Amino acid sequence: MTKKIMVVDDEPDIRSTVKTVLEKSGYTVVVATSADDCLKKINSGEKPDLILMDIMMPGTPVREIIPKLGKFKIAYLSVVRTSEAEREDLMKSKNIVDFIQKPFDINELIKRVKKLVG
Amino acid sequence: MDIKKELSTNQTILLIMSSTEYNGEIIDIMKKLSGKNIAYVTLNKTKDSLVELFKKNKIKTENIVFVDAISKTIKSVPSESEGVYYVSSPGALTELSLVVSKFIRHNFDYLIFDSLTNLLVYESKAPVGKFVASLVNKIKESKTKAIFYALSVKEQEALIKESGMFVDKVIDMEK
Repeated sequence: MTKKIMVVDDEPDIRSTVKTVLEKSGYTVVVATSADDCLKKINSGEKPDLILMDIMMPGTPVREIIPKLGKFKIAYLSVVRTSEAEREDLMKSKNIVDFIQKPFDINELIKRVKKLVG
Repeated sequence: MDIKKELSTNQTILLIMSSTEYNGEIIDIMKKLSGKNIAYVTLNKTKDSLVELFKKNKIKTENIVFVDAISKTIKSVPSESEGVYYVSSPGALTELSLVVSKFIRHNFDYLIFDSLTNLLVYESKAPVGKFVASLVNKIKESKTKAIFYALSVKEQEALIKESGMFVDKVIDMEK
């Protein structure tokens, strides 16, 4: 069965680029424009195998939404530079499975997505 | 480019860099200004990551006070702790303006604004332009010298051009 990825980013360019390359790699992709939008879609029944979530977006802070997403696997996409300690801290939640620094190489992103969901 | 020399004749400078030069340039500039009292406004890196980066590059951090508009968006932090003021987000222009104004009144030797590029992610060009104009005016009433960083991004050419009209000198590192 095709794996489903949810791309959550407030930047339309990132959403559309990542969606296109993931679809070309055989994934089904849904998008959300904010953490709030992501939660709304999850509550409406979306069941992605992985959520690629920008760490900093307008609206409710991502850190407040993460606990509400429960069991879903999440990989952070971050344009923000953090210290090693901060990164470790951000990865503490069980459902956070990766931290991908922006700007990322698209092939590297696909490789990491494959590693995370197959 | 000799940033100290440039700042000796220009109180406010807009430094335009490519994304590939950016990381190296911010280190070089901090090395040249090291030891002076610096207010560092960060809109794309947490204060902890900057301290980590500066220490790795043997840059003294004791004389730097940070205005960090990032940490509050990704973790719980108090409003202020030693050597740092936290602002809600890079889009909180009023809050940012109030904190930076407070710093300017303390006559720091230098103020580094890192960077204008990040402001446009959260706000449209008009309020950002207004913010920059107001900030430059406040700096001009003080003894502080300021460097505004901006990345050379095609979509932001208009803001860079507008900001360039307020500062004393624009240095395009790509030229």
